[in-house]
Amino acid sequence: MFQEARCAANSLMAQRISITLLSIVLTCGTVGAAPVSYGTQIQPLLAAKCAVCHSDNNPSGGVSLSTYAKVAAAKDRLVAVVGGPSPRMPKSGTPLTPEQVALLSRWIAEGTTDDGKAATTELWWSRKPLAKPSVPATGNPLDAFIRAKLREMKLDPSPEADRRTLIRRVTFDLTGLPPTPDEIAAFLADPSPDAYVKVVDRLLASPRYGERWARHWLDIAHYGDSHGYDKDKPRPNAWPYRDYVIAALNNDKPYSRFVEEQIAGDVLYPNSAEATIATGFLAAGPWDFVGHQELREDTLDKNITRNLDRDDMVATTMSAFTSQTVHCARCHNHKFDPITQQDYYGLQSVFAGVDRADRPYDADPPVAAKRRDLLNRRRLVQIQLQPLQDLVANASTPEIDKIDGDLKEMRGRISDLKATKVSADADAAARLQVEYDPIAAHRKALVDAIVGAKSLAEIDRLTPLAKALDDEIAKLPKPDLVYAAANYFPRNGTFRPAMEPRPVFVLNRGDLNSPLEPAVPGAIGTKFSLADPSDEGARRAALAHWITDRGNPLTWRSIVNRVWHYHFGAGIVDSPSDFGKMGSLPTHPELLDWLAVWFRDDAKGSIKQLHRLIVTSQAYRQSSKDRPEASKIDSENRYLWRMNRTRLDAESVHDTLLAVGGKLDLKMGGPADRQFWFKDDHSPVYDYARFDPDSPEGQRRAIYRFIVRSVPDPFMERLDCPDPSMLAPKRGTTITAIQALALLNNPFVIRMAEHLAERIQPAGDASAQIRMAYRLALGRDGSASEVQRLAEYAARNGMVNATRLLFNSNEFVFID
Amino acid sequence: MPGAPMNRREFLWSSGGLGGIALSQMLAAAESPGLHHPAKAKRVVQLFMSGAASQCDLFDYKPLLDKKAGEPWDPGEKVELFQSKPGVVMNSPWGWKQHGQCGKWVSDLLPHTAGCVDDIAFVQSMIAKSNVHGPATFMQNTGFVLPGFPSMGAWVSYALGSLNNNLPTLVVLPDPRGFPPNGPANWSAGFLPAAHQATMIRVGSPNPIHDLFPPEKASFITKDSERETLQLLEAMNREHLADHSGDSRLEARIASYEMAAKLQLSAPEVMDISGESEATKKLYGMDDKLTEDMGRRCLVARRLLERGVRFVQIWSGADNGFPRRNWDSHEDLKRDHGELGTSLDKPTAALIKDLKARGLLDDTIVYWTTEFGRMPCSQGSKGRDHNPFGFTSWLAGGGIKGGTSYGATDEWSYKAVDKPVYCYEVHATVLHLLGIDHKRLSFRNNGIDRRLTDVHGSVLHDIVA
Repeated sequence: MFQEARCAANSLMAQRISITLLSIVLTCGTVGAAPVSYGTQIQPLLAAKCAVCHSDNNPSGGVSLSTYAKVAAAKDRLVAVVGGPSPRMPKSGTPLTPEQVALLSRWIAEGTTDDGKAATTELWWSRKPLAKPSVPATGNPLDAFIRAKLREMKLDPSPEADRRTLIRRVTFDLTGLPPTPDEIAAFLADPSPDAYVKVVDRLLASPRYGERWARHWLDIAHYGDSHGYDKDKPRPNAWPYRDYVIAALNNDKPYSRFVEEQIAGDVLYPNSAEATIATGFLAAGPWDFVGHQELREDTLDKNITRNLDRDDMVATTMSAFTSQTVHCARCHNHKFDPITQQDYYGLQSVFAGVDRADRPYDADPPVAAKRRDLLNRRRLVQIQLQPLQDLVANASTPEIDKIDGDLKEMRGRISDLKATKVSADADAAARLQVEYDPIAAHRKALVDAIVGAKSLAEIDRLTPLAKALDDEIAKLPKPDLVYAAANYFPRNGTFRPAMEPRPVFVLNRGDLNSPLEPAVPGAIGTKFSLADPSDEGARRAALAHWITDRGNPLTWRSIVNRVWHYHFGAGIVDSPSDFGKMGSLPTHPELLDWLAVWFRDDAKGSIKQLHRLIVTSQAYRQSSKDRPEASKIDSENRYLWRMNRTRLDAESVHDTLLAVGGKLDLKMGGPADRQFWFKDDHSPVYDYARFDPDSPEGQRRAIYRFIVRSVPDPFMERLDCPDPSMLAPKRGTTITAIQALALLNNPFVIRMAEHLAERIQPAGDASAQIRMAYRLALGRDGSASEVQRLAEYAARNGMVNATRLLFNSNEFVFID
Repeated sequence: MPGAPMNRREFLWSSGGLGGIALSQMLAAAESPGLHHPAKAKRVVQLFMSGAASQCDLFDYKPLLDKKAGEPWDPGEKVELFQSKPGVVMNSPWGWKQHGQCGKWVSDLLPHTAGCVDDIAFVQSMIAKSNVHGPATFMQNTGFVLPGFPSMGAWVSYALGSLNNNLPTLVVLPDPRGFPPNGPANWSAGFLPAAHQATMIRVGSPNPIHDLFPPEKASFITKDSERETLQLLEAMNREHLADHSGDSRLEARIASYEMAAKLQLSAPEVMDISGESEATKKLYGMDDKLTEDMGRRCLVARRLLERGVRFVQIWSGADNGFPRRNWDSHEDLKRDHGELGTSLDKPTAALIKDLKARGLLDDTIVYWTTEFGRMPCSQGSKGRDHNPFGFTSWLAGGGIKGGTSYGATDEWSYKAVDKPVYCYEVHATVLHLLGIDHKRLSFRNNGIDRRLTDVHGSVLHDIVA
């Protein structure tokens, strides 16, 4: 099982020891060679080549090779299936080499003994149970682990950064904004030993903190304010989920509650509006409008659409909370990790009863309870009504189809004529409408004949019941809406609720045309035992509880590593959403486990306590300066012999420009700011070039901007803002010419440069103004020569050019 | 990794670093042997027909449709259509003739393209995994029916880097009427580094590249002030660098401003076609209102390719709105395909001829595609519904064997029956000609080593010269 990782780790040493290896191989072939070791030779071989399909999770053909006893029991079949001219196993991947087959044969010939040298656990590191390792020294436990590793690597930590650097670093890190000159001055002047801790506590208590860290979580959830795909329609009610994340972080909601609410908050906490809003997480990703709303029921493409929609929910949930790549098991068992297709489709069936739709919620509890009751009754009527409505929708004869074609064409002509706004055309449209109506009536008669009197009577009976309930619901105070996971919503086009979980099958090669057995709701290596399998909410609740179980090691390792990643720019595991064999290995496994257990048990899932522990560590407070002698040993700084220098991400650049320009509007929450010109159309138009950066929608923090999936904001995109349709556990930092042009010429940057120039005007002469600009933009006093040089430049080119220049400097975008 | 030294590829991503420029040039020169094997082509121009161009009205001639026109259509199985139920057999409103030495049948809608058939390999057996525009358009562009994956152009940029040091590597020329379904997400760099993002050029519009120049209102920015700004910026950044040694990103960023200044000079030059001869402009159909826009974009594409832009994507057709402004001819095929086909035909043929005349066709692939085809039966009385089961793409130049046809649909032009291929095969073939093994070009994302061709694809050696 550890074979591949070992190979990678040892590759550098491989050349050096090849001569020694050669002699060992020679000895092996001679009489009197040491007996084959189960622990060091056979078990790793089976783990690498067989375990994917023959584990306890996935005992294909009834064979598991997870323990010595099971291997020994299967010994007679082992060589038979892997040897010979056309080996039957492994079914995928490269066959065993003749040497490997010979090794297996020899082990069996020697008596199939266990030399007791097998790794004590056959679990991959991330699946091992959590235990709290002892801390190697006193002081901040983090530093104890980091220092121990540095000593082992013959590295020294760097000295603490100066205070100006520290406050700039920690303020950007925790709030995504620069410290104000006053905040810097206060910190520099504070003689108390806990001056830094006071800054940290102030920042963690600031609402700006939640706004900053919610953005990280939205990357992981691939949140957007439009559906994506063709006809990328706005999603005007997505924002309550964004506000939920901000509030959850600001209120330091315990992590397990945060997890549970996002998967099944509506089920687990039905009296809490915010718990319903939280399920916006499941709906945060893209949604194929045409596939869901225009394709007919029971067509292959409709089923593909739903399959991919559930796939997105599964991949998002399991990546975000458990750092597992279960989505790799859609077409085949996971090639590297013990995740079977049964596991994967079990997870799909967890989400088989929900769609992404606007969902009402009420702040007033009695209204909420009343609505819940009415909606439930309405849903029961709809269960009877839906099949009848389908009869009407699917009624078809060649004549009806011909009429449909004609009517569609007429509608197109009518809408074209109306669009011209010429009165003669309007008259023509009206004439056409007169032609249209009797044809439509004739169509209805044809359909009625197919549906039949009995069904029509039933429709006539149920429709008033449905309407009465709809009317009562309409009488309630207007609810707020959130785009979230929903098991009931009004039909719209061909988009309608499942009513009960849709059947999900394990699909051979992921192909809907090749269903195998029905999937059973469950998670990795487990099937849920549910009292009522048709209760979709119970499925999601079971998954939520499986994830937040204190014994689930993935969950706790995953979150502490994510938080670490954002603080240091790289996680202890540098693949924050992949703790499998294709991911990175932890650089500090004991530290990771200590943090996970501490976070779960001592901090009770408080993310703020975790931040505090990390940012007050010496590791975090080190200087980021390069030291060539250390760089030679660890050029990537994986062991943290210095702090990493970070480039501001897109949102931080945006927010800092507003803050420094003195224009930042700190109003929180509410509908997203549309920083583009918008035209709602068959396919809506989003045009960023036609947006005035001085309009009110342009003044708030970037977390509040309306994120369009199909048309990214070019300014943000050029600063590595990720594609909102992609799960983005890490951001890239690239440096390009086109990025330089964005910072030089984007109208928003220019406007902020103008605002900064206005802001510093009262400071006095050009030099005084420049001094103030340095303090605001770079958080320091410019040296005398710097100030003089820029003042002279400003005299020739104007102050706005000078402030624009500061915004383009490396010092502005890189944080030490 | 913050603060880490960049590896060779990261240097390319940065399109800068003084070393970066030199490296990418060296690499471009050294890489004519190809990334994985010798390359036959260096550049690609992709023409994308948004909305689904009809194979049975352009390149896939079936006499049976003429014979059975107007009769009920019965292909012998249940047919699941996107919007409608199958209507009667509908023959093409255009006639068909054989062309070139190869004798390829082409509809009379495309007389100029027909004149190039001996340079073209037609893949007549294309199939798609979706009959919905959004997913299918994603698939032809990125190999996946989902949003968020890198486009072919971004992959090529990632694999091969730049061939120039003053223009982008990947340029997209959208239809001025609007974006295709999925918008710019079609040419996204997905999870690839942002340096492989496409640069969109809106040819003919007053501000063709976002932020290439300051907004007009910013009159305080002049040529002289800008020269001094960039000089002082570099001086300040160099002082900062001296105090922050050992971080290659800082140096790369200094160089990125030099690159930006070069782009400001070269981009207007490449878009300025005033120096082109009247004969050339005429060749591209710029003297005719119907072909003027496409002609201008094809001509600009040639100029971009000539100056070392690696990948140019030209869109014919916008979104699926009304009145129709793309190939999605559900209502009136003759009207809508008629206009789009004519606007496309002469400029496309001109691009092939012009590249050929300049000796560029030998190492430039011209790749024409659409997201799926259209049905041989009618929708309403004059339209055609979507057909993901059989359609045509074509390639020319850059190591492609001209005058060939690969695969075939059935007698109706309904289903690909002979050697059906997805976009994977075409993508694999284009990469192959560029010297790239499609199975070895991958990028780790979210636990999976992703490829343009997913886990599929094989090179169509039959159409390789």
